[in-house]
Amino acid sequence: MEAATVERAQPRVRTKKKARATRKGTPWWMWVAVVVIVVFCLFPFYWLINISLKTGSDLSSSDLVPPSPSLSNYESIFRNDDFVRALGNSVIVSLVTTVLSLIFGSFCAYALARLRFKGKFFILGAVLSITTFPAIAIAAPIFKLWTDFGLFNTVIGLIIPYITFTLPLAIYILTSFFKEIPKDLEEAALVDGATYFQAFRKVVVPLAAPGLATAGILTFIFAWNEFLLAVTLTSSPNARTVPAAIAFFTGSTQFEQPLGTISAASVVISVPLIVAVLLFQKRIVAGLTAGAVKG
Amino acid sequence: MKGHKLLWVVCLAVAMAFAVAACGGDDEGGGSGATETTTTKGAKKIDPASMDSAKGEVVYCTGKDTSGAQAQSVKDFNKEFGSQGVTAKLLEFPEAADEQRNQFIQRQRAKSGDCDIFYADVIWTAEFASQKWLYDMTPYVQEREKEFIPATFESVKYEGKFFGVPKQTDAAFIYRRTDKVKEAPATWQELYKVAAANGGMAYQGAAYEGLTVDFLEIAFAAGGEVLSGDGKKSAFNSPENVKALEFMVNGIKDGAADKAVTTYMEEQSRRAFEAGRVNIMRNWPYAYALGNMSKIKGKFEVTPFPKFEGGGTAGILGGHNLVVSAYSKNAGGALKLIDFLTSEKIMAQDAAKFSLAPVLNATYEDAAVKKALPFSAELKEAVAQAKSRPVSPVYTQMSQAIFKNVNAALGGQMEPKAAIEKADGEIAKALETF
Amino acid sequence: MESASLPAGTEPRRRSRGLSQGRLAALMVSPSMVLIALVAAYPIVYAVWLSLNEYSVRVAGLSRWAGLKNYREALSDYAFWDAFKTTFIFTGASVFLELMIGLAMALAMHAAFRGQGVLRTVVLVPWAVLTVVTAIMWQSIFDPTLGLVNTLLGTDVVWLGSEPEALIVMIIADTWKTAPFMGLLILAGLQVIPDDIYEAAKVDGATAWQRFVRITLPLLKPAILVALIFRTLDALRIFDLPFVLTKGANGTNTLSLISYETFQTNRILGLGSALAVITFVVVMAVSFIYIRFVGGNIRGLAED
Repeated sequence: MEAATVERAQPRVRTKKKARATRKGTPWWMWVAVVVIVVFCLFPFYWLINISLKTGSDLSSSDLVPPSPSLSNYESIFRNDDFVRALGNSVIVSLVTTVLSLIFGSFCAYALARLRFKGKFFILGAVLSITTFPAIAIAAPIFKLWTDFGLFNTVIGLIIPYITFTLPLAIYILTSFFKEIPKDLEEAALVDGATYFQAFRKVVVPLAAPGLATAGILTFIFAWNEFLLAVTLTSSPNARTVPAAIAFFTGSTQFEQPLGTISAASVVISVPLIVAVLLFQKRIVAGLTAGAVKG
Repeated sequence: MKGHKLLWVVCLAVAMAFAVAACGGDDEGGGSGATETTTTKGAKKIDPASMDSAKGEVVYCTGKDTSGAQAQSVKDFNKEFGSQGVTAKLLEFPEAADEQRNQFIQRQRAKSGDCDIFYADVIWTAEFASQKWLYDMTPYVQEREKEFIPATFESVKYEGKFFGVPKQTDAAFIYRRTDKVKEAPATWQELYKVAAANGGMAYQGAAYEGLTVDFLEIAFAAGGEVLSGDGKKSAFNSPENVKALEFMVNGIKDGAADKAVTTYMEEQSRRAFEAGRVNIMRNWPYAYALGNMSKIKGKFEVTPFPKFEGGGTAGILGGHNLVVSAYSKNAGGALKLIDFLTSEKIMAQDAAKFSLAPVLNATYEDAAVKKALPFSAELKEAVAQAKSRPVSPVYTQMSQAIFKNVNAALGGQMEPKAAIEKADGEIAKALETF
Repeated sequence: MESASLPAGTEPRRRSRGLSQGRLAALMVSPSMVLIALVAAYPIVYAVWLSLNEYSVRVAGLSRWAGLKNYREALSDYAFWDAFKTTFIFTGASVFLELMIGLAMALAMHAAFRGQGVLRTVVLVPWAVLTVVTAIMWQSIFDPTLGLVNTLLGTDVVWLGSEPEALIVMIIADTWKTAPFMGLLILAGLQVIPDDIYEAAKVDGATAWQRFVRITLPLLKPAILVALIFRTLDALRIFDLPFVLTKGANGTNTLSLISYETFQTNRILGLGSALAVITFVVVMAVSFIYIRFVGGNIRGLAED
């Protein structure tokens, strides 16, 4: 499994050293710290992969390396229709949430960053207060609401709350980004006869692409990860996303201890996120520290 | 300025609209005093004739099919009736009983027709019926009443009507490795001593419904009770119950059962027994057939529960009933599947091949069943004598009161007496739930 | 590109500008506001309404006005205070540990130039793993049958089946997931501190410890505070981890979890909603306390 080989290869990548001329050589204890950090971060995930490659009685022991590694757990979860559908649902929900959240969020952020109107503080306050909402507080009401509207156990029924919960972060990040963009370019466009919205669309948005990427990836991660609402608002493979599917996984057959297949499923659903995070790591940190570090 | 005003108007309108909606009628509010005896008034009645013209898909929701019987039955049904245009589909919920209930009630509260039939644990029928989530099966059951073991109807009747069809009954047994422990102990006390000397025993001690059952089996044998005779007050705080809990707690301390048992459910117990990590186990009959497919085939024996010194013997009646969801879109198909699942042929197959205790009198006389289950006579007797858990819409809360506190005592976080007292208080509170 | 030569403070003339600023703003802000009203505002109001009523568990459709009875019941129930205590202990312990370990990691990453690339990558893996998978992962590490931890540590404890060990496992799992990420946030803050300040301090004879306490920590304050508030609020709301690890058994019941159990499992809608509203109020209260410290940033965003 690619993920397994990638993860196990990581420690060996250490040999690629980046030369930095300004500092003295690194002391031995620094290497110890590096090793400790790498083990701390990767061992639990390695353990999960380890279990996912075990079958039968191997699953009752604590061997750190599978005595007879096999991909049968992976095979069986991909043969499981419900799991594959859950994967599909997660992809749809996460992508649609991300796109819509970026669109609505960038609109709101632009208004906050550039346009003049009263009630900015109220709107910003309302938006930011959503970050403090415990999902539990709205779980039961939305369950009732969705039941009445026929949105229970639908993909849309999940997308709507997800967009709402990711808007604050998107707006926060994008507002900071928009404010960073020098006003000159927009002013020039306005002088040339563009409307505010055209200025927004053609000048500001392309320049804020990094901010959009950051907000986008963070939104995607949130939607992929979300559990409480997924468990409350879905009940069948129709709309169930992977976190809920995994929590209620019954395993492949009645004889097999489900631990092996659950581990395989867990590895599979983690891989997209890990890949995405690794690709966008700079953006993610930049986005989250926007405003914090600059003060 | 104009934009700002527009914004405020929109917000105000939205707020008012929602305020009106919130204060208006909704399904869970607004009712007036319906009395307890008529809560199921107006429940949909099943029409026995509807199964003759049934078509389409029937979804059969069940907990994880640990024995394999459900999958087999569904396959057989489709083979026999597929050509007539009616097919069955199995939908599995997680293994733990509590989670199965959660999955089903979530769908019922959402009025979803996801499940046509649910393989419901016997303790839930009262709750489901009182919430008007089930079809009234009386017209169908009445015609076949004599075929079933009378004890199995206790859990299916609510307010004088039948809200399900018994499918499987259950009484647990002591499994014992005959090559390690030669003789079956005659009392619980002796059983624990033997277990401590022979690698320990496995039972269901995790904080879930299964622990309530395991505990009550010993508590009832010791002479304890859960509710008073009229079912209105808690009788849980009694010396007998304290004695039973102390017995179980000391059992763990003395090594009759490993500490890890506080995380075991049925499947973990079964695996520990099959792997030879323990030589004695308390489990339901389903584990018998599975045991004979594992490496301990032929090396174990099943015996009824022993006596509790200073008390008697007791068993808890388990089992499942088939209930039809009130929101099902294919009641006729559902009834047809139920009729098939409770037919003598399938009953005998479930018993002989999968060691599931049958609910039909005739099955116990079946030669193939008698051969496959050497303990079938004891099984019938155990079922007839087993006690039911309290039949109540608030049973879930009462069970939580019991298993949470017993689990805490088993784990050494509470003294047995304190645990029983706390559970007693929680049961009393549960009884007062509106 | 030429900058526009409009004198400061002049409003651009309204030629074919499309909508005015105010109208456009209202339009652009409305989708977000509508969603917030629908998904957050209305449900909270509805939750409060539900909490002021009692809904029968025995009889379908029967309900009655309860006023503040559910709140009185919730606040006098030892199960609630148990969960309250557990939630705050969990929050305090995990946020503290995450901060300490995160700080240590950040310092290590800052100093270890040669390993920094690998470290920054490796350190995001725990954060990228789903919370549900984190729970499953740690559940299997502490599984009594597999016995990995007991073998490594030489102990004989049923981790997830005992109090307080189950809570300890939960704290470990959450710390594992988040400490590295905190480390990254703090690292970003560390890297903005110019070297000159340290050089100057060294010249003045400051020890490493003094440099750390007098220079590093104060300059890291903004980064730490933001990380702290998000983590604290997340920890107060924790649901996924205890739900999968123990379902709230053995002293791991949190505020979100008891609310869920009350209205979903036990179907006591009124009390469950009251518990949810109380959770909401608790979280809001904590966030207000924080905003008094970090509020400056937010105001800056709203200024023209």
